[in-house]
Amino acid sequence: MNTKKIFQCKNSMDGIFTAIYEAWSSGYGHDNVMIEELCEKNDYSNMQLFSEYITVNTDMEKALKVSRSIKQKISEEAFEIVCRVALSDYRQKGDLIYRFLILGFRSGRDIVNHISNDVVNQMLKINRNVGNEVHHFLGFLRFSQLENNILFSVIHPKNNIISLLAPHFADRLPQEKFIIFDGGRNICALHLPGRPWIISDIPEANPDMVYKLKNYDNYKDLWKIFFENIAIKERINLKLQRNNLPLRYRKDMTEFQS
Amino acid sequence: MVIQEGMSIQRKLEILSMAARYDVACTSSGVDRKGNNTGIGNSLACGICHTFSADGRCISLLKILFTNECIFDCKYCINRSSNDIVRASFTPREVCELTMEFYRRNYIEGLFLSSGIKISPNHTMEQIYETLRMLRDEYNFNGYIHCKIIPGTDPVLVEAIGWYADRLSCNLELPTAESLKKLAPHKNRKNILKPMRQIQLRRDRHNEYLGIDDAARNRLLTDSRINIDETDGPVAANIIVPFGRTLPAKKRFAPAGQSTQLIIGATEESDYQIMTVSEALYKNFGLKRVFYSAFVNVNQDESLPSTLDGPPLLREHRLYQADWLLRFYGFKTDELLDNNKPNFNLLLDPKCDWALRHLELFPVEVNKADYQTLLRVPGIGVNSARRIIAARKHAVLDFNDLKKMGIVLKRAIYFITCNGRMMYPIKIDEDFITRQLLASNERMPFGIDKDITYRQLSLFDDVNFQPDMHDQIKILSQA
Repeated sequence: MNTKKIFQCKNSMDGIFTAIYEAWSSGYGHDNVMIEELCEKNDYSNMQLFSEYITVNTDMEKALKVSRSIKQKISEEAFEIVCRVALSDYRQKGDLIYRFLILGFRSGRDIVNHISNDVVNQMLKINRNVGNEVHHFLGFLRFSQLENNILFSVIHPKNNIISLLAPHFADRLPQEKFIIFDGGRNICALHLPGRPWIISDIPEANPDMVYKLKNYDNYKDLWKIFFENIAIKERINLKLQRNNLPLRYRKDMTEFQS
Repeated sequence: MVIQEGMSIQRKLEILSMAARYDVACTSSGVDRKGNNTGIGNSLACGICHTFSADGRCISLLKILFTNECIFDCKYCINRSSNDIVRASFTPREVCELTMEFYRRNYIEGLFLSSGIKISPNHTMEQIYETLRMLRDEYNFNGYIHCKIIPGTDPVLVEAIGWYADRLSCNLELPTAESLKKLAPHKNRKNILKPMRQIQLRRDRHNEYLGIDDAARNRLLTDSRINIDETDGPVAANIIVPFGRTLPAKKRFAPAGQSTQLIIGATEESDYQIMTVSEALYKNFGLKRVFYSAFVNVNQDESLPSTLDGPPLLREHRLYQADWLLRFYGFKTDELLDNNKPNFNLLLDPKCDWALRHLELFPVEVNKADYQTLLRVPGIGVNSARRIIAARKHAVLDFNDLKKMGIVLKRAIYFITCNGRMMYPIKIDEDFITRQLLASNERMPFGIDKDITYRQLSLFDDVNFQPDMHDQIKILSQA
């Protein structure tokens, strides 16, 4: 019996790209390989019977080769889509990207228009979903000012998007020191004036520590006053508000904190 | 009039944001601008919503009045001079500080500055000019600014402000000059249209100079023959004021264009009249947006309709839908409404309503029809039409594909074929399809739908309802 080869990799862009490289060059054939990224939170995997697991060690060079060929043989646009999907919280995104690339290397830049194909459709859907979440957070993210003038923000996004958020804020606030902290993943984006932003892992970070640093910020109250008074009382519509601004965003937003 | 000295900034913000809330335009869209690496701020053409207030509306900008003191006495306005309310004014520095600090914390996308009229239009606009100048030049603010132009402002001030703001707006308030005269005795149509024309010409002239073709989007509306009613005499065709300073080459005059606002339901104009005015504004004045604001009788003024049952939200919703049809779908007002049918159907959206009256044009073959034809099918929007065009190059589409692409099949199936077949054998019959469409509930902004099924259907909300009908019904119910 033909056993399935499952390439297990780290849940990161580079991890997935390395696994794609390994699976592709393994010579087992596309139908006999699968890519499985380890679960984001606890590295838990639901093991399958009758298959062989191959652990993939992330290799930057191989990952780079994959990203280069996507850009050259398909398109920049396809590369961006793949990146966003790789940052999503979709299970089995690694394998989905693999299937997408099989099609993509065959039909080139036109692949993104094959909307009626299930794999392409799924990719585009996830891509949209991640893009929408990024767009939401561009607006819903809140900074609070710490004593040392650092702007600090905690968010809990579904997808791993701080690397997609950071460029926007670095462009917008070039003179500010700011930290965007992903509370669910314990990673943060850091920015200092005049330097490129970086992403950093802080496994032992505890957002409460930072909250204690904070002195009293007068502008929080002013913002709440504005927020309360701008609503037209005759048009109160909490359902519409909830539809536009789902509850999951609110715990990190100044105007909804008591 | 109550004027308090030494008011705290909290109290001022409370009063002046409450006073500004009836202005509906709060978009930050229309201009793409990168950060400049020294100051603060950038701007995205798509606009960003930063939060949503309890009425479900987007908050994108710090929307405040500079002052709510006002010498005008417009009947619909909470800040009219005859109202006995607490009055307050910001100083330019206070507005700048608020904007900067809110912006840093990512509360807002920029500033929306409007104002009551203190002493005179020019006096007020000078203060606003000073605020904008400080914000841009001293605070290095590079975010979005929307500034209101008060009717009667000197053209020199309009010119100066336009170089600092991203979007300007002069509110038309009411669709006809007579209504305006009645409700806002201190305003007149000409004073509103004059700065509009000035801004339009200024933008055109400067864009031409820069080689920017900004009119592309409004080209859909070009062969309209409608002229805006200019009862107070035609608006001067040539009012461009030279600006004394040399400008940086890339600087643009009000890059996000101009918008305006119409109050809906305070006066008796029909939807047809309103849409005709909107169409003319888009076409003749190059506006980016016309906003519709369901009238709320904040002053409980006896001469104006009561809104105790809630403002006419559904009507406002229909007008926005029709507005979209004009701007993105290539419709003309005359196709949607006419003198015999001057108001929108409250039960069906304007596009469905139009399609039902033009069944001879349907069904449309999805695999062949051109973009403009697809756009006219209920259930197919701008995005889905584009997706169809892209996808059918590679495959023959069937209904399952359409579903995957986000086409609203429950509305579209009555109007389309895939490979010459309809999804179900359907009789192309107006009554039948109308019934089916009514049964499949239209998705509406939440809250509106809850109320309309019963309340908006009530006779008093329907603009088609005539008082004498009221009597007839009374007679009927007594019989």
